[in-house]
Amino acid sequence: MDVARVLWPSFLAACGASVLFFAVVDPLLLRGAGPRLFADLDREAGYALGFFFFWGIGAVASSLSVFLIRSSQHRQSARERAPSAP
Amino acid sequence: MKLAAAAPGESPAVAPGFYAAAQKIYPREVKGRFSRLRKWAVFVLLGLFYGVAWLQWNGRQALLFDLPARRFYIFGLTLWPQDFFYMALLMIIAALSLFFVTALAGRVWCGFACPQTVWTELFMWIEQWTEGTRSQRIRRDQQPWTAEKALRKGGKQLLWLLLAVHTGFTFVGYFNPIRTLGAQVLGLALGPWATFWALFYALATYGNAGFLREQVCKYMCPYARFQSAMLDQDTLIISYDNGRGEPRGVGRRGIAARAQGLGDCIDCTLCVQVCPTGIDIRAGLQYECIACAACIDACDPVMDRMGTARGLIRYTTENALQGKPARMLRPRIVVYALLLLAGSGVLLYSLVTRTPLILDVIRDRNALFREVHGNRIENAYTLKIINLDTRMHSYRLYASGMEQLDIAAPSAPIAVSAGTVESVSARLQAPRALAGGVHTISLSLAAMDAPQIAVREKARFIGPNP
Repeated sequence: MDVARVLWPSFLAACGASVLFFAVVDPLLLRGAGPRLFADLDREAGYALGFFFFWGIGAVASSLSVFLIRSSQHRQSARERAPSAP
Repeated sequence: MKLAAAAPGESPAVAPGFYAAAQKIYPREVKGRFSRLRKWAVFVLLGLFYGVAWLQWNGRQALLFDLPARRFYIFGLTLWPQDFFYMALLMIIAALSLFFVTALAGRVWCGFACPQTVWTELFMWIEQWTEGTRSQRIRRDQQPWTAEKALRKGGKQLLWLLLAVHTGFTFVGYFNPIRTLGAQVLGLALGPWATFWALFYALATYGNAGFLREQVCKYMCPYARFQSAMLDQDTLIISYDNGRGEPRGVGRRGIAARAQGLGDCIDCTLCVQVCPTGIDIRAGLQYECIACAACIDACDPVMDRMGTARGLIRYTTENALQGKPARMLRPRIVVYALLLLAGSGVLLYSLVTRTPLILDVIRDRNALFREVHGNRIENAYTLKIINLDTRMHSYRLYASGMEQLDIAAPSAPIAVSAGTVESVSARLQAPRALAGGVHTISLSLAAMDAPQIAVREKARFIGPNP
């Protein structure tokens, strides 16, 4: 379930980000970005690479959110379990 | 500290209310007005999806978002990356339409038009065709494996897979020319990325429509969560008439239910059995309800048989249920409608007045200026001319903004074929006496056969310091 919670919103975000990014940037322009990195990149590979890059970034952000929510819930339930101060 | 013992079979590790293990839902098949409507919606929408990809327009695919070539072909219209404005506007209009319809008529999108609903419906037809009715499916799932069970289940999976792969192929066919793709598939020469995305989308279809189904609406769909913000007391919802139905139950035969103190609901639970999201509509409005109206179709014939009026479950509004007058025209409806009108108006106007020509002027980087014969100063430019129109045009260049500014090149009109970019070097000249310093000039380009197709760009003309 957590896997779905991380991958699904980041997938949606990656779709939006790819549309916006590649509306402005032609993937062929990325060829000039790194000396060797993207030298043989064609457009289709560029789109895919960009999409998975955004998905990855989104997944990192989503997992952080899940982690933060999770750990605050743990602390809260621990506080509730602890005997109240006199 | 006391811990409640977990009930047998219950996993104590799962936090309450965090994630309930999904129970498999066996929606019962249903016939009626709204099921017929949904059947039509499935035929029309999926017919469009699978069909339009093959439609030709002026010798090329009618609807093609050609990503490898960075061109969108929408029937007679060709959109370039520079036209992103139109796509953005189109998306805003689509979103506004959704809000408008939702405020007016509730979740009709969810019940009849959402791809999730439409493909799930198609997958369920296959399921019913191979595995039979709801009771047959439940019984078979509890029975041990037999050859017949394997054949029916395997057949279903095979049909699902074929449909999913075809769906993925069609989806990719909107981004790459589908006829070329088709030939590549037949020749087993489909490119790696096309294969990957087709299978990706096939897997998504198979998983979403075959297995996840209502869970997509319940757990994954963001729209299902925030659309309550669009609903109000006058929005059409599907609701059970509590006042009429309760107390539910079956009375003794031959005596009117009312005389026995009972309502019209005979508690047959058909409305629960047909529900694709597995809820009981009689418990009130719930966010899981996708307004598919299957419960209305299930309840109406029961009311007919009982001799009571139809509509114990019906399309109604909260206000109507409470006996208040229903209002169609509310502020939010008016605001959504006005925004929608404005957006569509802007789109239409800008499409009609769109100039299918783009001119970029880039100054020569090598030299600021050059002295040429006749005591004249020359500046060199590269013109990038994009013809966005669907036919070829010849353009003439004009220069203005400075006295005695002449165009030395190009001397002839520039021909650019439909949908292509042409780079042309241009040279402008002016007498030395007038050319000193930096001048802002303007270059304009006009189609010779259609004077309304014209653009103007600013540029700089640089001469020696005076």
